[in-house]
Amino acid sequence: MLIDACNIRKVFNGRKDKQETVAISDLSLGIERNEFVAIVGPSGCGKSTFLLMVAGLEKPSAGTLTIEGLPIKGPGVHRSIVFQEYLLFPWRTVEGNIEFGPRMRKVSKDDCRAGSRDLIELMGLKGFEDCYPHELSGGMRQRVAIARALANKPEVLLMDEPFGALDALTRESMQLELQNIWLKTRCTVLFVTHSISEAVFLADRVVVMSKRPGIIKEEILIDLERPRTREMHTTKEFRDYEAHLEGIVWEEVN
Amino acid sequence: MGQFKYRKFVSPILVLLIWQGISAYGIVPNWFLPIPTEVLKTLVGMMMSGEVPHHTLISLGRAVSGYLLAAVVGIALGLLIAWSTLIEDFFDPLIELIRPLSTFALIPIFFLWFGIGNTSKILIIFKSCFFPIVINTIAGIKGVDSKLIMAAQSLGANGFQLWTRVLLPSALPMIITGLRISTAIAMMALVGVEMLSSDSGLGFLVIDAQRTFDTERVFAGIGILSILGFSLDKLARYIQSKVLAWHSETSLGGGM
Repeated sequence: MLIDACNIRKVFNGRKDKQETVAISDLSLGIERNEFVAIVGPSGCGKSTFLLMVAGLEKPSAGTLTIEGLPIKGPGVHRSIVFQEYLLFPWRTVEGNIEFGPRMRKVSKDDCRAGSRDLIELMGLKGFEDCYPHELSGGMRQRVAIARALANKPEVLLMDEPFGALDALTRESMQLELQNIWLKTRCTVLFVTHSISEAVFLADRVVVMSKRPGIIKEEILIDLERPRTREMHTTKEFRDYEAHLEGIVWEEVN
Repeated sequence: MGQFKYRKFVSPILVLLIWQGISAYGIVPNWFLPIPTEVLKTLVGMMMSGEVPHHTLISLGRAVSGYLLAAVVGIALGLLIAWSTLIEDFFDPLIELIRPLSTFALIPIFFLWFGIGNTSKILIIFKSCFFPIVINTIAGIKGVDSKLIMAAQSLGANGFQLWTRVLLPSALPMIITGLRISTAIAMMALVGVEMLSSDSGLGFLVIDAQRTFDTERVFAGIGILSILGFSLDKLARYIQSKVLAWHSETSLGGGM
């Protein structure tokens, strides 16, 4: 087990009164090395909060959360996160954004440059190296954000609804690209999404969370061969997975 | 910067022509409203005699000193206040009490404490420039998206790197806006204080000409002040657009 979450609880203190919000009540989940796990669930179920905890950006209120058996105490460069809002540094060019992580770790300039060249190639950003984020489309910005996350050569890639702000076409092509990248790098991916079809398409295992306070309601393995293709969306197996998961999620919404 | 538009010259030229007509044909007396061409002649004379360059340099010296002092202290204190709530709680009441106070209300006290020389003039310019700078610096740092900080942390930025590589560049548009607002304020405070008490500088030049009813010289002085203010603002905008080339709003040519 690479990441092991055991009886995680997360409570947020209200700002005005002392009312507490239980975001996650009791969550246990194990993630194997090189696995692609998608988490789906209704809005506010705590799935993004869980992701932030694995990133070391939030602390669980109770329970244990470990990576390779060691407790997660803070952010680590081997756990990179990609957000829905891209969150690029607007004063840095595409290249500068991608090199941010290695530069912070004092990697030599030449090595940073070589690494970013490879990622620019991999993410199809060639010709945009010197653009600033505001000059790019949403899809391109998210490519930069993914490249920036990969620049630290993470063991775990955490993605918080990364394609949520993209149009349907861009979204589909990004899913295909993400699969290709994952097949090449074989890092562990924890992927939060609203889209059931996206979860089925990408993941080895889909985890469904209940509405707040979040617990894990169901886990199913997606036994579809790789690489997955667009055509698979219409196969019976794919449809069955989708229908099954939709049933569970809808129970939670109503 | 926007493209050069000739039609932007229409209204100033029209105003000058009407003014020329009214004053040159004696509709109003010249001691009341001088003829623009005569003002220009006076201005050229004052340039040639070295009078205008002399007073301009003195004025600029005061304005730049007060302004730079305000920029350095304002940005430094703003960063400290944004960094620590302890420092914020200490300085915030003082800032909120002194900030709304008109600079001119403090002039008598400044004259009393620092004399009527350059020190009090520079400090008055400092007072008027300081608050926009410090407040914009605080707002700039505090306004940084907390998720952007999270993103930087997860990429491996430590505490010091967060400040130098994320917070400062993020806040830069706001800080520069504060600095730009203050260039205009510096000019206002400068003229005010030079009119009240001085024997040099452009403010003195204007008020001294008024005392002797030399309206042409008054207008010539105002003209210089107007050109100076306009140029300083253009310079500030130019620096802003260079420093913030990455900023989407600046590259659209907008002043914020």
